[in-house]
Amino acid sequence: MLTELETTLLAVMMMVIMLGMGCSMTYRDFLMAFRKPKGILVGLVSQYVVMPFLGYLLAILLGLPPAMAAGLILIGCMPGGTTSNIFTYFSKGVLALSIMMTTVSTLVAVVTVPLLLQFYGGLAGLSGDYVIPPENVAQVLVVLLVPTVLGMFLRKLNANIGATIEMIGSLLGVAVILFLIGSWVPRNYQMLLDTGPAVFAAVIGIGVLGMLLGYWLARALGQDSNRSRTISLETGIQNGPLAVLIITLTFTGTMQQEILFIPILYSLFIVIVSSLVTMWYRRTSTAESMARDQAKVRSAA
Amino acid sequence: MTGVLTPPRPWLASYGASIPQELPALRYSNLADLVHRAAATHGRRRAFTCVAPNGMNGTLSFEQVGQMSDAFAAFLHHDCGLRPGDRVAVQLPNGLPYPVVAFGVFKAGCVLVNTNPLYTPHEMIHQFNDSGAKVLVIVDMFADKLAEVVPKTSIQTVVLAGVPEFFPKLPEIIIRGVQKVWSRTLPAVPKLSVPVLRLKTALAKGRARGADTRALWQGLGRDDLAMLQYTGGTTGVAKGAMLSHGNILTNLSQMQAVSGGQMSAEDCVLSALPLYHIFAFTANLMAFFEAGARNILIPSPRPVQNLQRAIENYPITWITGVNTLFNGLMNEEWFAAYPPKKLRAAIAGGTALHAAVATRWRMITGTPLAEGYGLTETSPIVSFNPLDDRAKPGSIGMPVPGTDVLLVDEEGKPVPFGQPGELIVRGPQVMQGYWQRPDDTAKTLQNGWLYTGDVAVMEEDGFLRIVDRKKDMVLVSGFNVYPNEVEDALAKMEAVLEAAVVAIPDPKTGEAVRAYVVKNPDFAGDLTKEDIIRHCKGLLTDYKLPKSIVMRDELPKSPIGKILRKDLKAEVRAEFGQ
Repeated sequence: MLTELETTLLAVMMMVIMLGMGCSMTYRDFLMAFRKPKGILVGLVSQYVVMPFLGYLLAILLGLPPAMAAGLILIGCMPGGTTSNIFTYFSKGVLALSIMMTTVSTLVAVVTVPLLLQFYGGLAGLSGDYVIPPENVAQVLVVLLVPTVLGMFLRKLNANIGATIEMIGSLLGVAVILFLIGSWVPRNYQMLLDTGPAVFAAVIGIGVLGMLLGYWLARALGQDSNRSRTISLETGIQNGPLAVLIITLTFTGTMQQEILFIPILYSLFIVIVSSLVTMWYRRTSTAESMARDQAKVRSAA
Repeated sequence: MTGVLTPPRPWLASYGASIPQELPALRYSNLADLVHRAAATHGRRRAFTCVAPNGMNGTLSFEQVGQMSDAFAAFLHHDCGLRPGDRVAVQLPNGLPYPVVAFGVFKAGCVLVNTNPLYTPHEMIHQFNDSGAKVLVIVDMFADKLAEVVPKTSIQTVVLAGVPEFFPKLPEIIIRGVQKVWSRTLPAVPKLSVPVLRLKTALAKGRARGADTRALWQGLGRDDLAMLQYTGGTTGVAKGAMLSHGNILTNLSQMQAVSGGQMSAEDCVLSALPLYHIFAFTANLMAFFEAGARNILIPSPRPVQNLQRAIENYPITWITGVNTLFNGLMNEEWFAAYPPKKLRAAIAGGTALHAAVATRWRMITGTPLAEGYGLTETSPIVSFNPLDDRAKPGSIGMPVPGTDVLLVDEEGKPVPFGQPGELIVRGPQVMQGYWQRPDDTAKTLQNGWLYTGDVAVMEEDGFLRIVDRKKDMVLVSGFNVYPNEVEDALAKMEAVLEAAVVAIPDPKTGEAVRAYVVKNPDFAGDLTKEDIIRHCKGLLTDYKLPKSIVMRDELPKSPIGKILRKDLKAEVRAEFGQ
């Protein structure tokens, strides 16, 4: 389990990340996003319909024990992670859409996450000790909204401070995952070695399947290929550290350790999966824009 | 002879009450005087703010710009040993160093040689040698070119400046870090036989010499040379238009006259066009500094998204631009949905403004987009549309006060209203000539009239409309591309027998370069379009590169063997259905 100091550190880091996320956007960005809300709506559907169901389905199909099922469903219900913005940037996706999806899914999380957790938790038959109290989740999310809104004000107040915090926040987004892995893996390597393939299938599968389904859904709902790739990354990449924070604030001792297992493994593998997918998307995106250029040259020549 | 008569100025009747018929007397003895007095008058007000794409920014006040340019002038005079009339090449993108350096050059009594930062070493060497520049101020992003360039020129001192120069500490460190580690656009500075130092060091040295530089510039008169502004001209070799202090001061006063007193210290102008280009140099840098207004400097306006934070965060009242920029802005949702609230007017120049763009601009922003006309050789403004209902779409407006414009036929005789003729200009903003090129000067300047090579039509109310360009230059996003220069580059390829370059219409850049290339039959290997582009990249800046390449077995020629570009142009017109 994480020590109290580590939990506090995690909470502080999450605050800074959310502050950075707030700094990355303006009030006007919001207004603009809702002028053409389709992309965001598609993103919300893949985020809060596809992913939670996927988490539940994998937990059942793979026959995960209650602690791990609780962890996996929690991951499925989480809003988008801020690291998706970095991966979108590298994959030459639509950065504005990614930032907006992360922000909007984080804002609505206050309502959706507790409801979804209750619904799928019940469906999976999680009972007693393994139930994550919805009010805890809502509390954490509300607390995280404060730095997000504060960030937006800071940005408006002083663009230099805003842009600086934005940058620190996105760097911290990666750092926090490294921190989790660094503080957790050495203490639990024995547990890792004893873990069966079902768990690995679950933590890798939820990310990969989420990206696949996110892409198909976006394509089916009329988004172009570049936006679909952005939505795909956004869907697959969940806010793992947030799940960790919620668990450490809710559970203690061995139980915390058990439930933490999936979110931490997920955070580790999603970085690897996203990196590979990003490389692939980048190549596709480059090929597509080259083809467009070629078409232009042909028509002009 | 046109030189002796005073031609009528039919446009004066259209001036109305808002525009003075005669130009008022100039208020300054030279540009350094203007800078000095504006700095003293406007003191702590903000003069320049440079905005990076992510919104990070730095600001200098009038006072700071005044003091720093004094320090730079002292550095040029005492540490570099420059004397009035010596040339200083400045190769900087828009940013806080630009005004400090340019104003410092004027205060040292020296001559500013504006240079495009994207020039290839080949182009830099030509320009530095032609101008005889002794000091080069260059953006650190292109320091790697110095090793090749400096030894082949008379440059004695190199000063490096960064894009985030004079930003607050933390943003400066972050942007530099991003440039170094992330985008890798900060190359190592090569070892040179001449001293290389950072702008901040140069300023510190200048300050140590004592700040008062008045003695250096007080003797400068309006006929003294202020800048060599390079332009390709018809012959294709870039030559320096000699613009005096009086030329620029006059043009500023002409610009103020036609603006109808709408420029004030409360204004905030968006400078997305490069200041090294004469349009933004006069219309943004000098005019708004003089007015005590704030200049928002954009280091790199492409992609046009780079302008978003600047337009959101500052109360922009004026925008200067070219057709492509306005079109690009209106195609951005963030601009079209939330156009700047305080905007008063936008000024278009550089290249023909499409009527559709002007109309849409008016609809989206609710402000006029007025087109003007000018040339490097005229500092640059020759004619301008009034910023009210009198503005005519598709017209370049009427000549500014104190300027004579005539449209003449092949024999130099004025043509009647409504008839096309070559536009010739006479006025206090017309250059002194081309630097060390008496033949070119004699061809262009005759009896005090500047022959523009542009064919225009004048209506009876004095409004002008450009119908064609006499010269063959290709206008890519407002930048002149001279076919000869591209042809010369192509001809340097062993595999190329001959080449001809003409303009083709381009939806994005207005015009683009098309090269007709004939392969050398003696060359054994293949010649692909990719080979040609790769070759040209070493010699030409990007915008000069051929966008379309057509391989031919032969080119149309006149009986004496001169390649007939006009026949190729006719082909292009037929092809694009014009």
